[in-house]
Amino acid sequence: MSTYQKGMAPIRTMGDDSDVEEENLVNDYKEQVQFEELDDLEPAGLSMAQQTDDIQSRLQQAAQPLDFSAPLEAKFQSYDSYCSLFHFILNSEGPVDLEPPSHYWAWDVIDEFIYQFNSFSSYRARIARQGNNEEEIQMLRENPNTWGCYSVLNVLYSLIQRSQIAEQLGAMKRNEDPMAVAGDYGSKSLYRMLGYFSIIGLLRVHTLLGDFSLALKTLDDIELNKKAMFARVMAAHFTTYYYVGFSYMMMRRYSDAIRAFSHILVYVSRTKNFQKSAQYDSITKKNEQMYALIAICVAFTPTRLDDTIHTALREKYGDQLLKLQKGGPESLPIFEELFRAACPKFISPVPPDFENPEANIDPIEHHLSIFMDEVKTNMWSPTVKSYLRLYTTMDLSKLAGFLDVKDDELRSWLLVNKQRSKQLRWTETGLLDGELVNISDLDYALQGDLIHVSEAKVGRKLVDWYLRNLSRTYA
Amino acid sequence: MNMNGEDPVERPQEIRNIINGLERYNPEAAGVLEAYLTQQCEEKFCDCNANRALLKLYQLNPDRIKDEAITNILVKALTQFPSPQFDCALHLLSPAQTNPTSSSELSEAVGHLRTLNLQLEGAQYARFWATLDSDDIYADLTTDIAGFEDMIRLRIAQLISQSYREIQISVLENWLGLDDAEEVQKYVVEKCGWKVAEGGLVQIPKNAENEAKKTEIREDVNIDMFARVIKRSWEETA
Repeated sequence: MSTYQKGMAPIRTMGDDSDVEEENLVNDYKEQVQFEELDDLEPAGLSMAQQTDDIQSRLQQAAQPLDFSAPLEAKFQSYDSYCSLFHFILNSEGPVDLEPPSHYWAWDVIDEFIYQFNSFSSYRARIARQGNNEEEIQMLRENPNTWGCYSVLNVLYSLIQRSQIAEQLGAMKRNEDPMAVAGDYGSKSLYRMLGYFSIIGLLRVHTLLGDFSLALKTLDDIELNKKAMFARVMAAHFTTYYYVGFSYMMMRRYSDAIRAFSHILVYVSRTKNFQKSAQYDSITKKNEQMYALIAICVAFTPTRLDDTIHTALREKYGDQLLKLQKGGPESLPIFEELFRAACPKFISPVPPDFENPEANIDPIEHHLSIFMDEVKTNMWSPTVKSYLRLYTTMDLSKLAGFLDVKDDELRSWLLVNKQRSKQLRWTETGLLDGELVNISDLDYALQGDLIHVSEAKVGRKLVDWYLRNLSRTYA
Repeated sequence: MNMNGEDPVERPQEIRNIINGLERYNPEAAGVLEAYLTQQCEEKFCDCNANRALLKLYQLNPDRIKDEAITNILVKALTQFPSPQFDCALHLLSPAQTNPTSSSELSEAVGHLRTLNLQLEGAQYARFWATLDSDDIYADLTTDIAGFEDMIRLRIAQLISQSYREIQISVLENWLGLDDAEEVQKYVVEKCGWKVAEGGLVQIPKNAENEAKKTEIREDVNIDMFARVIKRSWEETA
């Protein structure tokens, strides 16, 4: 944990982030309260200048976090003000002539909009599960469409369509002028930015609903690289890679997941000195989560990591990683622990069943149990591999004897491990595409009960080392 | 390329329009996707991507749910093993539908199919056939899917050929869920083109996967990797 002692945010244990989160939110809330007071003071009839002020403050407010413990009324109210703001932006006559208050404003709005949707859904489910707060239950039942999934999706898709952002990104990909296809709305930066970040918002909503392939498909128009528009807003950059990596992991594309997580973690570690500390704090939690996810992915697909990542991973999750890599039943609770700590806060898209509190299972348990099926299927692979590495040929019954299992059991383990050694890996096109590659350095084939083993030798990788030392010498 | 059974060539234009556009959120599209699912079941192909669009509509509009469509989608996804298709479909169900302790007919059916999937994913093929035989419920669940057992058997044979050069007929008998050695012999010769040698050893032709050749992984070095260094040294001298 030594990297943390150099004046950086105190390490926080996974899982109890809500306190810190809450504190941040409270601080932000104080600012927001001031806006609310301003609103109250507003006289009924507004002059032109005041109207502009009014819309500016609404824009500001939309980007402000809502207090974690805000009462239900405030959550309802917040939903209403988003609706009216988006209605104003989308359904006024012609494009609204407004400049966004800052270059990260559009991201903040979409981010906060989805965050509130997410936490409202979780809150509603929790109230239903606990089943003892009659007053709130009554309120939630009477307003089933508040923060409804369809209306959230509707906002995001409408912003994307209005701004013609997909067309614009397509043109950029072909090296053409995006303005030629942007239309009246999309040529304004307000719409373009909202449309763009709505795509990232969709990536997030689809992931929260457990639709991982649709989540990745949503990014088809966006090219993931440092020149991408989202890279200009650190939080957006970070969030995008977290959700992309997570979705890859859930689709068993562990090497792609590792690539996504590593990319952003390396970027963060290289730029952390330039980040404003407040911004850095807010990403510390996601940072930790991504290391936990990398640990899971590496356990599935042993991979040589970037040196910085490797060192940090060993510091943060060294013990857990060892256990994961060893496999077997002892590894299962560690997989569960890390998954719970690092997964997004999954939600259910429809209102819960208030009649039967116990019927409302936390969606996290649902997704975790499906994920654990695959973990269990693979849990003997490390054992099998560690033995096979020692031989070039081996008799199946003899190995079964070593492992104290039946022959047929071992045959299954061998097949599973062999089948999982092929993985789809992203090439150059859409995130969902890829080519099937061999990700294991150990290969084997069976001739009756004789296992022929061959190990791929990995030549030394020198380019990275060479480049790094060159830049160190000449920097 | 993509996951197995993700984007089949059989997909008609109408379905393509639905799943690639906003129509996928229209509750009315469920009818079209259900009819397409029936077509997949009858014509022995699989479009997991389109089927997920149907599950998504069910997720957003629970009043539309047809239990039979859900179980048929899961059985179709089952035939794609090993792949994440079955899991991807499960993730779109509601927690109550996959909860083993709730006693609805659907959640029981999902539980049964999940057991089958675990066995196929875990390469426990003998156990899979035994489970399938153990209860009439499995016949009910798979009855709509034409050629279900044949598809599974063929897939297992294909996977065996990727790991084995030779395999005992007795092992195959259990794994392929066939009645006796004679039937196995007939199956592997006629359907797979394998040979049966004396002593009941089945020989599988060589292919890229069952050879286990020694390889060396070497780093691909190209000039682009050094572009920045070269550019910099050029700029510094200039």
